[in-house]
Amino acid sequence: MIRFAGVTVTYPDAAAPTLRDVDLHVPEGELCVVLGRTGAGKSTLLGAVNGLVPHFTGGTLAGHVTVDGRDTRTHPPRELADVVGVVGQDPLAGFVTDTLEEELAYGMEQLGLPPDLMRKRVEETLDLLGLADVRGRALADLSGGQQQRAAIGAVLTTHPRVLVLDEPTSALDPTAAEEVLAAITRLVHDLGVTVLVAEHRLERVLQYADRVVHLPGDGTVTSGPPALMMARGVLAPPVVQLGRLAGWDPLPLSVRDARRMAGPLRERLPVPPVVAAPSGAEALRAERLVVRYGDVVAVREVDLRLRGGQVCGLMGRNGAGKSSLLWALQGAGRRSSGTVDVGGRDPAAVGSAAARRLVGLVPQTAADLLYLETVAAELAQADLESHRPAGTADGLLARLLPGVDRGAHPRDLSEGQRLALVLAIQLAAAPGVLLLDEPTRGLDYAAKARLTTILRSLAAEGTAVAVSTHDVEFVASTCDRVVVMAEGEVVADGPTADVVLASPTFAPQVAKVLSPRPWLTVADVADALDLPRPA
Amino acid sequence: MSLLPRALHPMAWWVWALGMATAVSRTTNPLLIAVLVAVVGYVVVVRRGDAPWARAFSAYLVLGLVVVLVRVVFNALLGAGVDGHVLFTLPQAGLPGWAKGIHLGGPVLAEEVLAAAYDGLRLAALLCCVGAANALANPKRALRSLPPALYEVGVAVVVALTIAPQLVDSVLRVRRARRLRGASAKGLRALRSIAIPVLEDALSRSLMLAAAMDSRGYGRAGEVPRGLRRATAALVLGGLLGLCLGLYGLLDATAPRVLGLGALAVGIALCAGGLVLGGRRIERTTYRPDPWRRPEWLVAGTGVVCALVMVAASSYDPLLLHPSLYPLRWPDLPLLPLAVVLLGLLPAVAAPLPVRARAAAPVGRVEVAA
Amino acid sequence: MSSSRGGHAADVRVLRVRPRAALALGLASVGGVLAFCWPLLVDPGAVLESTSAPLVFALLLPVMLGVVLAEMSDGGMDTKALAMLGVLSAIGAALRPLGAGTAGVETVFFLIVLGGRVFGPGFGFVLGATTLFSSALLTGGVGPWLPFQMLGAAWVGLGAGLLPRVRGRMELAVLAAYAAVSSLLFGALLNLSFWPFALGSSNQLSFDAAQSTMENLHAFFLFTLATSLGWDVGRAITTVVLVLLAGPAVLASLRRASRRAAFEAPVEFPSAARPSA
Repeated sequence: MIRFAGVTVTYPDAAAPTLRDVDLHVPEGELCVVLGRTGAGKSTLLGAVNGLVPHFTGGTLAGHVTVDGRDTRTHPPRELADVVGVVGQDPLAGFVTDTLEEELAYGMEQLGLPPDLMRKRVEETLDLLGLADVRGRALADLSGGQQQRAAIGAVLTTHPRVLVLDEPTSALDPTAAEEVLAAITRLVHDLGVTVLVAEHRLERVLQYADRVVHLPGDGTVTSGPPALMMARGVLAPPVVQLGRLAGWDPLPLSVRDARRMAGPLRERLPVPPVVAAPSGAEALRAERLVVRYGDVVAVREVDLRLRGGQVCGLMGRNGAGKSSLLWALQGAGRRSSGTVDVGGRDPAAVGSAAARRLVGLVPQTAADLLYLETVAAELAQADLESHRPAGTADGLLARLLPGVDRGAHPRDLSEGQRLALVLAIQLAAAPGVLLLDEPTRGLDYAAKARLTTILRSLAAEGTAVAVSTHDVEFVASTCDRVVVMAEGEVVADGPTADVVLASPTFAPQVAKVLSPRPWLTVADVADALDLPRPA
Repeated sequence: MSLLPRALHPMAWWVWALGMATAVSRTTNPLLIAVLVAVVGYVVVVRRGDAPWARAFSAYLVLGLVVVLVRVVFNALLGAGVDGHVLFTLPQAGLPGWAKGIHLGGPVLAEEVLAAAYDGLRLAALLCCVGAANALANPKRALRSLPPALYEVGVAVVVALTIAPQLVDSVLRVRRARRLRGASAKGLRALRSIAIPVLEDALSRSLMLAAAMDSRGYGRAGEVPRGLRRATAALVLGGLLGLCLGLYGLLDATAPRVLGLGALAVGIALCAGGLVLGGRRIERTTYRPDPWRRPEWLVAGTGVVCALVMVAASSYDPLLLHPSLYPLRWPDLPLLPLAVVLLGLLPAVAAPLPVRARAAAPVGRVEVAA
Repeated sequence: MSSSRGGHAADVRVLRVRPRAALALGLASVGGVLAFCWPLLVDPGAVLESTSAPLVFALLLPVMLGVVLAEMSDGGMDTKALAMLGVLSAIGAALRPLGAGTAGVETVFFLIVLGGRVFGPGFGFVLGATTLFSSALLTGGVGPWLPFQMLGAAWVGLGAGLLPRVRGRMELAVLAAYAAVSSLLFGALLNLSFWPFALGSSNQLSFDAAQSTMENLHAFFLFTLATSLGWDVGRAITTVVLVLLAGPAVLASLRRASRRAAFEAPVEFPSAARPSA
């Protein structure tokens, strides 16, 4: 269905080609997962499928990309719209109209389909993706999962044979991600759609894959069946890493496969040592905290304590009140009632310049804090506003992530680099409490591992860290303690193992495989078995 | 049989409102004008939806009042003041020579004040008609009635209408995020620290949007034959030329009346032809197009009839519609024009009720609302 | 990229104005000038007079504007340009209410000037029209004045795209001067077209077709002085201040966006099936 023959892509200003001599064939009806680190060329590969590369982006494409027999040389993206549906990373940014129904119809209007056919297909698609009850809503008012399904629906109405998805679940909580993935697999199974999906969080998609395409980063591409590719030692989710560690053959790709092989390992493993959560001095105490917007109560009488030396994970559905809580703790967001006490001071009462020396917050859209033209200028500004000697923030950035170009425009950095920059800016004020709102969004495995190291070492230096995230694997490897929120209330609070093991939604893969033994990460298992930790 | 609630075709509302505006432009009778404003206001109140633009009407009412006041004050201050009933006398002030010997103040005449008020009222009523159309017609649906040749421009406007509210959210978000950096930036930097992230956000969004539109088949223009292109060009350029000549003819007293009007008519026809031909390249369909049925005919027809009758009446007996100021006299309420204006009430029953959004609280967006 | 180093008056010409569109634009502009300046041009006894002229122009101007916009987008508009147009119009439309109500603070011109400067005269023209149109739709401000405002703003954007090629401080000075002149002219033209309508015909500042152009001009000047000059000067000052203060940063952002959008980047498909690896 999709065929790359000797494809080399070079962008106008680039010194080296982004894709080099790529041969790839994806047969009809397969779900194909594209792996690779940030910057390895995933977006270019996906963009080349419907001709956005190079028709839209500019650049040189040698070789041939053909989809359903149509060559992208002669067919620009709009001429492939009836064959390939493309869903971008941020669904809201790709919406042309503002209500769900009109958005679903948009593509068909462009193709000039007759109105009665459009009407029928809109209804079908609403049912197929479970969106019928929100049909008349404004797109901006839908939840994240609904928006993502709406974006998929909007390209499905033209009945494309190929669906290309760029990180469809990166912004979603585990449940919403499951809904989206269920919808995608249904398309593959019931309609025979060929799906090409790029995803950093392999643990979510690998089990559904028929084929894995790997971009190692040098412009080449390898592909094969998932089991084979995993055995070759490319990026792998925890369940595969566990399988490699235990030497299982064939390698398990899903929790179910792994559990069936895990009996002997479970027996072999000792009872994990009970690690007491590091308990430093109390750094922040919030009592009966309420945040309400009109009639909506976002945070409902929450009591929370954060201790120095501890990394606390904040989990819960989208809209559970995590962001509102973090913002209220920092003092910059709304607080309707309740108290926050950081070393005897209330961050909301001392003014924002002093507040950031008490509590630092890295917001969800970290780029909102950046307004200067170079990384160096941002760092210098951070020194100024924190009243620190020049070079403080620069040193912090060098420590957090070496090798960030100081002359680059902050908006041109990768997600991981931008996060490190904002973190350095916020840390320049040396706050005793650091809050991060969804920092793992869009990070690849390496960047996430790096973030884990950074947060652990900050905690080791005595900082109290709280991080909201949907990424259960990240929580398992990073947090000492987990707080789960639902409808604005804290519904669970305790050591990571206790909280995540109790919930099927929040349990990491290793825990699911080794349950009832309370192991959370591959690294812990490796340590217990005296084996080297996976890279 | 009662009509099912639905949105009336926006163009029907515009035709009705412009018809009423044309009707009111032919009279300075304050009683008639007052009745017309009441009629238009009543229709707005009973047939507007709950969308934001439906609240526009009151702003137009205020604007209309301002217009009347400005006219009256100007005329009181600067009236020529020849002869008539003196209401009161303002202190006079001469102006320097460069001001063309204009004198401020002096006796304020009832006739002049009334004339200004009547004229102002007429303009205010015109504004009310326009305001009624703004309040009743859904602007996004109205955009669909643009000729196909203007499709691209229409899409740009649709995109703008979609993104503008998101920008407001974006500004609120960034403004809140500023505090995380201590909000230390003052003055220019403060402006910059809000404007630049919002702008950058919007610009990168535009690129993503463009990619999405391209992938979804936007701009699948059919090939336009050379002949058709030439014909379009000829029509459009000829039409514009005609319009210019026609306008010139209408402004120049020596040009024959027929020439001006004729050139204008030909120009409009050619331009319209050019727009139709130019739209041929767009092969698109519309999802759930707005129907044009009996209610639309009735509403639009009402406007057209009102306009025609008033225009005819004004040329048949101008005095009927313009109350006498010399001698000063209480204006009559002529029967035929009154009946015509009251006919404008028809849409209050002929148009279906608008669909109102169910009172459901929107999900999401809450966290930004701070 | 070579286009960002200058060489054009504007950086890129996102919407190319082909000769045919340019001709249409010229003709429509003549019509536009007639529509704006008719009180100065009309003969006594001409068909058009105080009450009918504004209505006639309010009907004709949309037709002319529509034809020109259709001509400019004929042959399809680049999606990237169109999305940029939509986004910038949205920003302009969202900025506009910020100034409304405060005497003369008009925030929308600044963006039209900078947009025209960076993306070229054709883009500037369409941007001016779509910004005012979107803003009117958002605020319920559609009326007979709208075509006049759209055409005026479109000229402002067009002119900004045609400014001479300079960079750095000189560029800012040129833009600021242009912003001042264009906002004043915009105000004066709009004022002129509605002057007879706004004031009636019975007082000393009124338009009188029987008088000479010079006399009418004089009366109009006095009328402007008495009514809207403060407003127009306010608009010019805000625009200039915005251009000077926020100009460099906004220009940089727009240029970056223009570079990233790769409007003029070459798209190539080398014919060799396989490059020699």
